[in-house]
Amino acid sequence: MGTKTRGDTVYRGIAWSAFACSANTACVDVKDGKVLRIRPLHYDDVASVEERRPWRIEARGKVFEPGDKTLLPPLSLSYKKRIYSKNRVLYPMKRVDWDPQGERNTRNRGVSKYERITWDEATTLIAAEIKRVHDEYGPLAILCQADGHGETKVVHAPHGCQAMMLELCGGYTLQARQPDSWEGWYWGAKHMWGMDPVGMQVNQQNLYKDVCEHGDAVLYWGCDLETTPWGWGGQQPSRMAYFLEELGLRSFFISPDLNYTGACHKGKWIPVLPNTDAALQLAIAYTWITEGTYYKDYVDTHTIGFDWFEHYVLGNEDGIPKTPQWAEEKCGVPSYTIKAFARYWARHAVSIAHADGGGMIRSPFSHEPARLEIVLLAMQGLGRHGTGQLHLIEFGQFGFAEWNPMPRSQKYFELPGAYHGWMETIGRQNFVPKTLTPQALTLPEGEKLTWHGHVVCTAPRDDQFLPFEFPVDGAPMIHMVMSDSPSWTTCWNGGYAMQEALRCERVETIVMQHPWLENDALFADIILPVNTMFEEKDVAVDNWSGQFNMMYVQDDCIEPLGESKSDWECAIEVARKLERYGGVYENLVERYTQGKSVDEWIRAGFESAQAEDLMTYEEFAEKKMCLAPTAEGWEDDPVALTRWYEDPASQPLSTPTRKIEIYSTGLAEHFPDDQERPVVPHWIEETAEHQERRSCERALRYPFLLVSNHPRWRVHSEHDDVTWMREIRTCKVEGPDGYRYEPVWLNPVDAGKLGLQDGDVVRVYNERGAVLGGVIVSERIMPGAVYQDHGARVDPVVVGERGLDRGGANNLICPTATTSKNAVGEATNGYLVNVEKVDVFELARRYPEAFGRDYDPADGLRVSAWMAEGE
Amino acid sequence: MKVFIFDLDRCNGCHNCQIACKDEHVDNDWSPIARPQPDTGQFWCKVDEEVCGKTPHVRVNYLPRLCNHCDDAPCMKAFPQAVYKRPDGLVIIDPEKAQGVEGLAESCPYGAIYWNGELGLAQKCTGCAHLLDDGWEEPRCVDACCTGALRFGEEGDFAEELSCAEVLSPEWGTAPRVYYLHKPKRFIAATVVDKEADEVVEGATVTLQRAEDDATVATARTDEFGDVWLEGLEPGRYRMWVQKEGYLDLPCAFDLTEKDQAVPEMRFYRKPATA
Repeated sequence: MGTKTRGDTVYRGIAWSAFACSANTACVDVKDGKVLRIRPLHYDDVASVEERRPWRIEARGKVFEPGDKTLLPPLSLSYKKRIYSKNRVLYPMKRVDWDPQGERNTRNRGVSKYERITWDEATTLIAAEIKRVHDEYGPLAILCQADGHGETKVVHAPHGCQAMMLELCGGYTLQARQPDSWEGWYWGAKHMWGMDPVGMQVNQQNLYKDVCEHGDAVLYWGCDLETTPWGWGGQQPSRMAYFLEELGLRSFFISPDLNYTGACHKGKWIPVLPNTDAALQLAIAYTWITEGTYYKDYVDTHTIGFDWFEHYVLGNEDGIPKTPQWAEEKCGVPSYTIKAFARYWARHAVSIAHADGGGMIRSPFSHEPARLEIVLLAMQGLGRHGTGQLHLIEFGQFGFAEWNPMPRSQKYFELPGAYHGWMETIGRQNFVPKTLTPQALTLPEGEKLTWHGHVVCTAPRDDQFLPFEFPVDGAPMIHMVMSDSPSWTTCWNGGYAMQEALRCERVETIVMQHPWLENDALFADIILPVNTMFEEKDVAVDNWSGQFNMMYVQDDCIEPLGESKSDWECAIEVARKLERYGGVYENLVERYTQGKSVDEWIRAGFESAQAEDLMTYEEFAEKKMCLAPTAEGWEDDPVALTRWYEDPASQPLSTPTRKIEIYSTGLAEHFPDDQERPVVPHWIEETAEHQERRSCERALRYPFLLVSNHPRWRVHSEHDDVTWMREIRTCKVEGPDGYRYEPVWLNPVDAGKLGLQDGDVVRVYNERGAVLGGVIVSERIMPGAVYQDHGARVDPVVVGERGLDRGGANNLICPTATTSKNAVGEATNGYLVNVEKVDVFELARRYPEAFGRDYDPADGLRVSAWMAEGE
Repeated sequence: MKVFIFDLDRCNGCHNCQIACKDEHVDNDWSPIARPQPDTGQFWCKVDEEVCGKTPHVRVNYLPRLCNHCDDAPCMKAFPQAVYKRPDGLVIIDPEKAQGVEGLAESCPYGAIYWNGELGLAQKCTGCAHLLDDGWEEPRCVDACCTGALRFGEEGDFAEELSCAEVLSPEWGTAPRVYYLHKPKRFIAATVVDKEADEVVEGATVTLQRAEDDATVATARTDEFGDVWLEGLEPGRYRMWVQKEGYLDLPCAFDLTEKDQAVPEMRFYRKPATA
C-alpha cells in the first residue's frame, strides 16, 4: 500500500464500552491535521503469522480461522461524522436562566437555552458550587453519574474522572452501575447455577469448537449477534454464525421481531410476544415431562428441587398445567409449534446463543425467563457435547480466559495502572442503584429508599441479600449532580420520571461534561466541552474481537476541536480552581494527577499489564503495538462444562449446594415469600409493581407490547447524528414534515387495523407519556408487538411526566419500577403501549418552539438549536 | 481485468461497503480519479434491502449495487470524451472532461451515476482506482467487508465463481463486471398443520407444478416443524399439492409473479374414517 494516498496511520480502538477494554481496532489515516479515512487493521501489518500463531478450528471437514483483518462495524467506519458533528459542544456553556447567586429556575431545565462562557468562568462556578455544597450539606450531597458506554478510553476515561477527583476531597454519592447487560441472568440465573459474576455460563472454554464439532442446532434466543456486539466487539460473531450454518447446524431465531441475525442467517423464526418467553419455556418443559424426553438421571444427580418445578409445571400448585395450549395464549407461538420444537430439542444437541441482553432479560420479571432457560438446558443434560449457553460477545471479558468460547489467547491485557474510570461499588455504602436515581433525587425529606445488593455486575451471588438504604443515617439528600454520562433518560427505566427529577428544586446544580449536546445534557446548568478519542493520545486494549488480543498506543489524530478537553483534563481544570479554597482541596491537582503526564500514565498502564514476556516498554513505545499470539495448547483446554456433565463433584458450581438449584436455596432463605421472584421459577402474570401483560386491565388502553432493542445503527443513544447512518433505510423514516423520525415497525395486520402506512408519523404512548415515530409496515414484527429501537436522541416537546418527545426516545415511557421488588434491575422492554397516527403539522402549530428548532434531516438537531439568541 | 463478486448468501447487511465508500470519497478529493462525493443522498455503493414473505416465513435480501464497470458501458458510448475504461477494466468518469456533462447520469440504465449539482459533475464508483494505483489491493468497500461477501480481483482468479454467477439485468447487454452469487429468486413457504390433532404434519410430500406447462419444478417433504420452503423459483403461476397417507390431498395455487408467497398455517385434514 502506497503512502501517497494513505497519510500517517494511527491505531485506534473505535468502540464504546467505556471500559479500558474493547475491540474494533482500526487504522486511522491522517493527513494535514485531518482524518482521511478509517479502515480495518490488517494483522500482517503489525505481526507476522509466526508471531500471531493463528488458531484453526477444524470440524466436519471445514476450517474456521480468525481472519486477517479486524472486523469493524459501520459505527466505527463512519466515526469521522461523529467527531466532526455539528452537534459537538465546542466551548463551556451555561443555562441562561440559572443564576447561582439568585434564581436557579430548575423547572426550566430541558426548556431554556444556553450561552457560551469561558473555561475560567465555568470552572470557577463549578468549584464554588462544589465548595458551597460541601459546606452546606457535606460531600455526599453530590451525586456522580460516572458510568455508561461512552467512548472506550483509558487515561482519558469517559466515565469517572470527576468522581475520582471528588474522592480526594471528601467523597460523593455514587450512581451505581447496574449489571445492565445481564439483568435477568444476574438477578435470576445466579441463584440457580451461580456463575459469578454475571449469571451467564461463564465457563465457555472451547465451547464454540465443541458446538462446531458436536452441535446440531443453535437457538438465537432474543439474541441479535448482528447488532449488540457492534459497539465494542466487532463482527466476528457474524462469521461464527455463518460457519455454523456451513457446518449444517440448524438456526432458530426466537424473538418477537425477525432481528438482524434472523434477517441474514437462514433458519426458523419462532416469533414470541415480548416478555412471554417464560410461558414458552414452561410449555417446552411440560412437553418433555409429559413425554418423558428429558435427562432424568442427570436431573437427579446434577440439580436439586426438580420435583417442585414438576409439581408447578403439571398444574398441581395452581390448578393450571403449563401446556402448550396454555402457553400459546400468552406467548403467541402456536401450540403445535411448541410441541414440535420441544421434540426437536429433545432429540438433538442444542445450544442457546446470546450476545448479552436482548429484550428477554431486560423486561419486567426477567429473572424468570433467565432461570427457566437454565432449567431447560439442565433438563437436556447441560455440559453434554454440543450443548450449552454460548456467549457471542465480549470474548474474555474481565480478563479471564474461561469466559471466551474462542481459542485462548496467550494474554488478556488489562491496564489498571492507566485507567481513570470505573468506580467500584463493592464495599461502598454511599450509592444509589442507577435504576433508582429519579426516586433518590426526589425522595421526600426524612424518607429512605431501600434495596438489596451493590447491583454491580462484579458482585457475587450472595451480595444480593445485603440490605442497603439511601441516604444512610446522617447523610444528606442530593443537592448537586455531576455527570459524564448524560444518557439516563434514553437508556434507563422511566425517562420522563428522570426528566422530572432533574428539574426538582432540591437539585440546585447540575454539571455535565460531554462531547455532544444531547439527551440529559439539555438538563444541565453548566456543560463542559469534552473532546473525542481522536483528539487525545491514549493507550488501548483489544481483547474482545475473538481474533487476536492487542495492546497499543493511540496517538492523537487531530487537534481538539474548539475549546474541548478530555474528561480527565476537565477534572484537572475544576481541581485547579478548588485548590484555591485550601483545606481538603489543598494540592488537589498534584494528588489527582500524581504529577504524571499522559505518556507516564501510558507507561504505568503498560507496566500494570504485565506483558514483559511479549515486549519491553521501550519496544512498545516504539512499535506502538503489542499483539498476543494464540496460546499454545489451547486445543487441550477441557471443554466448558463437560467435566461437570460427567461428574458434578469434579467441577462444582458456586451455589450453596454446588448443584443447579431449580429450588434456589438462597432465595428460600432470604426472600421466602417473594411472589415476583419465587424460590422456584414461575410465570408471573402481573403484580403491584408491573402490569405489563396483554391480559392486564391496562391493555384495554395500551394493547401492544413494545420491543425496544439495542439499536442497529447506534450504540444506545450515541451516533444518532451520523449522517451516513441516518440515510440507511431502517435507520430513520422521513415524515411529511421532512423530519427524520425513529422507525416504528408494525405488522401489516396491526397497521391495517390502525389504518397506518409506511411513512406515517405515530404517537407511541401509555400513561407515562408519548414518543413519536415513523411507521414501517413490516413482516419482520409479529402481530401484537410493535418495534422501536431504544436510544433515539431526545427532542423534547413536553418535558417531564406525561411528556412528549419528537425524537422517539422510548425509554422515556418505560416502567419506572425495577425488574421486581427485590431485584432492582432495569425493566426497559416488553411493556404496554398504544399507537396512533398524529398530524405533525397540527403538532407544529401547537408546539411552534419545539417544532421550530434548528434541525437538518441529515444530522438532526444541532447545538445551535439550544443556543440563546445571538449566541 | 478486474471483477467484483458479491455472494449474497454471505451478506449480513451491515452496510460497511456503503459507509466505507462514503468514508473514502466524502470530503476527500482524489483527482484526477474522483472529486468528492456529496455527504448524503448519493451512493456510489448502495445496499438495497427487501423483506419477503409473511410472518413467520420471512427472508430479508440485501443487494449491494455499484457501478458495473461494464465492458460495453452505455455511459462511455454516450459520452466517449468524458468516460474512459482503464486497462484493468474499471470505468472512470474523468472529472475534468465530464465537467458540466449533464446527460451522464441518465445514460446509465442501472442508476449508478449521480449528478453532483454543487460540482456540476456526474459521479460514480471508481473502484477506488486512486488506491489501486498507489499499491492497494482492494477498493474500500471490499476491504471493509467482514464476511467475504464482497470480493475483488483478477477475473482469472474467480473462474469457479464466475461460472455460476449472474449479473444484474443481463438483457441490457452492457457486459457488467460486477457479478452476483446466490441471487435470490422467489420462494413459497408454508407450515402444514393438522389442526384437529393440534400437531404439525411432518413428512408430507409437496409437489410444485408450473401452471403454464404443468412441469413439475420442485418436490419436497415437510420437516419436523411441518415446514416446507421451495426456493429458487422463477416468477410465474404455480400449482402445489400437499399429500400424505391418511390425509386428504391438498391442492393450492400460488402467484409468484410479483412476490414470494407464504402460508403461516396451511391446514391439512385427515381422511374421514371409513365405516
